[in-house]
Amino acid sequence: MVENRHISITVNGERKEADVEPRMLLVHFLREIAGSTGTHVGCDTTNCGACTVLLDGRAVKSCTILAVQADRRKITTIEGLSKEPGKMHPVQKSFVDNHGLQCGYCTSGMIISAYWLLKHKKNVSEQEIREAISGNLCRCTGYDNIIMSIKDAEKRMEEEGDTLEEEQAVTVRK
Amino acid sequence: MYPKPLTYKKAKTLDEAFSMLSQNDDARVIAGGQSIMPMLKLRIASPSLLVDIAPIRELHEIRLDGNNLTIGAMVTHREIIESSEIGKNLPMLQETARHIADVQIRNRGTIGGSICEADPSADYAPTLLALDAKVVLKSSREERTVDLDDFIVGPFEVNINQGEILTSVIIPVNRSPYSVVKYARRSADFAVASMAAIVEKKPDGTITDIRVAVGAQSDRPLRMKELESLLKGQKPQKKDLYLEVDKAVEHLDPIDDIHGSAEYRKEVTANILKTNLGSLIFGGI
Ligand SMILES: Cc1cc2nc3c(=O)[nH]c(=O)nc-3n(C[C@H](O)[C@H](O)[C@H](O)COP(=O)(O)OP(=O)(O)OC[C@H]3O[C@@H](n4cnc5c(N)ncnc54)[C@H](O)[C@@H]3O)c2cc1C
Ligand code: FES
Ligand code: FES
Repeated sequence: MVENRHISITVNGERKEADVEPRMLLVHFLREIAGSTGTHVGCDTTNCGACTVLLDGRAVKSCTILAVQADRRKITTIEGLSKEPGKMHPVQKSFVDNHGLQCGYCTSGMIISAYWLLKHKKNVSEQEIREAISGNLCRCTGYDNIIMSIKDAEKRMEEEGDTLEEEQAVTVRK
Repeated sequence: MYPKPLTYKKAKTLDEAFSMLSQNDDARVIAGGQSIMPMLKLRIASPSLLVDIAPIRELHEIRLDGNNLTIGAMVTHREIIESSEIGKNLPMLQETARHIADVQIRNRGTIGGSICEADPSADYAPTLLALDAKVVLKSSREERTVDLDDFIVGPFEVNINQGEILTSVIIPVNRSPYSVVKYARRSADFAVASMAAIVEKKPDGTITDIRVAVGAQSDRPLRMKELESLLKGQKPQKKDLYLEVDKAVEHLDPIDDIHGSAEYRKEVTANILKTNLGSLIFGGI
């Protein structure tokens, strides 16, 4: 018999604790325990990026991490991007305004990847945008409007003073 | 899909990891998890115990010792891209890391994990073979240093014992002219063909050092030793190189799969060698 483990993960600023099976995937912790159902499971094989979230500030595929590996760490999901309840983050707003989504399945992961890029680089080129979303598949849009949305998001973030962000040093943790 | 039920332990030190690994015969190390997690989910692997080595401090070090750069097994692809120490001393390795997978995978995947996974199409191996890298393996009983060329056995198979951990990669500093080429249909895919080459030559064009390795062309990445020895000390003409490349490529035995037929892979490899190794050899003369 494998014993459950007690873990605590900070999801969008709120501590979520549970006893989980060690084999539980982070994406299932987020959806089923933390209630962040904006994070999607697409391929479940590390290819599509629909499950992308920020782990201590770094974009990662949450279907390829065990929940126990994220114990005592911080996760940001699509629900946690906006600082004000009921208001969208500029990246979300620009996806809406530029038709950067159709079915929406890939969108939360796509927006997290875009957010990560825009928080790390200034004056991004189209090549950099394409590279940044190369781990995110979209079966609907043909990508052009997504790229337009990300370019527009950069402008909006600048206008709102949403600046580059330092990640927390996390590689080594006792 | 879920992995089979398993126990998970975090090791804070190497000694702790060794003792955890000795508890179960089928215990496995998890580093960045970007290869083993997909395998656990497909149930191709189903160890009863996973030992997470991420918290072990010494595995994260990047250190210059004289003429060697020592890179800890847990250093991620992203950290390799961003390290100024690696940029200065091993620009070739840094360029190689840029082509691996995608942002999310580069944020988690590690150099140690990639080497131990030994995917014949992975990106580090041809570069590390060209750089004459060695790997350091430790267990509770011994420590050994092995040439990477001898460590890689075959597809997804390396010369490692149960209970051993790859702790670091030792790479001689190299700032020679190099070329790293990865050909894939989509940027985040594994290579259909890849090449890593280093060429040093005299001002008159005579080749004094040449090291060439290819990936995705056999059951393991390969140094093209015969081609190297034919060209070393020579001042070849383009037609000589083309002839030797065509002969060398005949000996390759790549996999035939949905990413590319064997014939196609060989053709791409020949073209990469002629063009990119060619421009190292003939450029600037
Ligand atoms: C969709 C996708 C695309 C990819 N594309 C590419 C690509 O284009 N190029 C490329 O090179 N790679 C690619 N990869 C593989 C990726 O680079 C992995 O990160 C890497 O192969 C494994 O590193 P890891 O740290 O994640 O290892 P893990 O998955 O944690 O471990 C891999 C294996 O090595 C063992 N292991 C790990 N570390 C050690 C150690 N220190 N000592 C002993 N054993 C150890 C584990 O037990 C396991 O068997 C891709 C992966 C995916 C999922
Ligand atoms: S669901 Fe995680 S990458 Fe597709
Ligand atoms: S909007 Fe449908 S998959 Fe991207």
